[in-house]
Amino acid sequence: MNAIILSVIIGVVMMFCSVFVPNKNSYRHIASIGLVLLLAGNIAEMHGFSLFHINTKGMLSYDNFGLFFNTIAIASTLIYVLLSGRDIQKIGTYVAEYFVLIFFVLCGIAILSSYNNLLMLFLGIEILSIPLYILTGSDKRNMMSNEAALKYLLMGSFSTGLMLMGIALIYGATGSFNIEVIHAASPQQGANGMSELSVSFLEIMGMLLLMVSIGFKVSAAPFHFWTPDVYDGAPAVITSFMATIVKVAGFIAFIKLFDARMLGTSVETNKLIGVDWKLLFAIIIICTLLVGNVTAVFQQSVKRMLAYSSIAQAGFMLFALFSMNDVAKEGILVYSVAYSLATIGIFAILVKMKDFTFEGYNGLGKTQPVLAFTNTIFLLSLAGIPLTAGFFAKFFMLESAIKTGTYLWLVIAAVVFAAISVYYYFRVIQAMYFKAGDAAVVEAPTMSFKIGLLLLAAIIIYFGIFPQALLSWFYF
Amino acid sequence: MQLINALLQANTTAVATATGTAADYFPIGIQLLFAIGFVAVMIGGSHLLGPKRRTADKLENFTSGIESHGTARQPMAIKYFLVAILFVLFDVEVIFFYPYAVNFRDLGWQGFGEVLLFVSFFLIGFIYIIKKGALIWED
Repeated sequence: MNAIILSVIIGVVMMFCSVFVPNKNSYRHIASIGLVLLLAGNIAEMHGFSLFHINTKGMLSYDNFGLFFNTIAIASTLIYVLLSGRDIQKIGTYVAEYFVLIFFVLCGIAILSSYNNLLMLFLGIEILSIPLYILTGSDKRNMMSNEAALKYLLMGSFSTGLMLMGIALIYGATGSFNIEVIHAASPQQGANGMSELSVSFLEIMGMLLLMVSIGFKVSAAPFHFWTPDVYDGAPAVITSFMATIVKVAGFIAFIKLFDARMLGTSVETNKLIGVDWKLLFAIIIICTLLVGNVTAVFQQSVKRMLAYSSIAQAGFMLFALFSMNDVAKEGILVYSVAYSLATIGIFAILVKMKDFTFEGYNGLGKTQPVLAFTNTIFLLSLAGIPLTAGFFAKFFMLESAIKTGTYLWLVIAAVVFAAISVYYYFRVIQAMYFKAGDAAVVEAPTMSFKIGLLLLAAIIIYFGIFPQALLSWFYF
Repeated sequence: MQLINALLQANTTAVATATGTAADYFPIGIQLLFAIGFVAVMIGGSHLLGPKRRTADKLENFTSGIESHGTARQPMAIKYFLVAILFVLFDVEVIFFYPYAVNFRDLGWQGFGEVLLFVSFFLIGFIYIIKKGALIWED
């Protein structure tokens, strides 16, 4: 509750800062202070200290998993604003509003990590998406940005329509919007030899539609077509935010939904209709990994490559939904930290580059050694090389899948795709160190920026050596 | 006749067991096909059979009987758009008062507090757009 309300209040305060504080440079400092306050508020709630006691009639529930994810999301945003705040400022004239919208997105994330009701899921997804449509088109003079915003708006609205349809069908089948109590209303089938808990056709259809629409938000494979264009068209700083914190929040919503409905979606209970959710998720994972990795290999622009790489990483995160056990839940937290931090770092460097193609990185190792070095660590982490956080992230995901004891071919395929991903990540490293050229940056990076990057790289290596450190905070 | 039999049968089984199997949705499928078919036949039929008289007067855009000047694709001040959007926004917000008005007595002071909160958010947005100069007409 702290995170939901504080993020809105800070957002509104920042809105008025844009009117009453004339100095544009101060906005990012105000935003950083706001994020620190938000983080403190959320950590306080993890320790049982809640500022607001509002009776939500069971629509929201706060568990350790959701609150811990909030902490991850807010801390990542803080790192993002500290590293790229200067670049957010450069997008356009409405500087304070960009930060305001980021706070509103965080409010949506906080709802998504604590919803207990399908209406709240819908509200959370909308609060998350609408500011993003604006942020995507925030570079108003750029046609690419406008195109991306319109595409995102149209496709996003369509997927929201599917979600509403799904919620309506589930409501029709169960008579309740609650994500947990669903089978009380289901017709008993004991008499004719069917299983006791039988889910109706409508409910399965509803769940399928919900899966499609959230799959769209996290850009899982058959629903990923918007991703490259939107990520490529949006200003690079905004892409960084969208591809990391927002995407991971989509996964948290996904996991909460399917965790609460584990009984309803298990193979035993829907024998009658015969939807095998494990197989369904396995197919989605394979498609996502295939499309993401194979297409990323052929990209010429690093920004577009990162868009496809984010699809590929989503494929790995989908393993948490596939296996849905304790390892998966821990794994998705580790994955969200590893993936978000590394991608934020890569984008922070990408924004500084003059040329977004692979050639633009030629010789960066000589001209900007610190940038090249930290970029290498971030890329290694994304590729999942040991001693970086990305390794353990992928490790936990695959371990959770192995623990289910089925679909071993899926794990093997994922390892193969991880090997393919090494190719396109290493192309950047190769360009930076082994190719001649003078990679030009837009402006000389400041000392604080370099120190920030080094600290971020240190955090990634720290979690790569002691992944338990992160999870011990989760259980503390 | 067979079709009606099938429909009736599907209906009775649905009532008897009240399960959610695919067979129960057979009548709905038939209805869907019938609806699509009906619309297609009607549109196609009126297109093929209807008389066609193409005169210059008939092809002109209808603008309330007034002769139209030029095309609609000419630049227009963006201010109209902004004001229209803001109008729609605030207009839609008012709709939320209807459910409150219906349940006014039942909700009591707590409901009043909630509505006051709603209105204050509303007002914050209004102050924001005024301060931002969204309603200033002259540049």
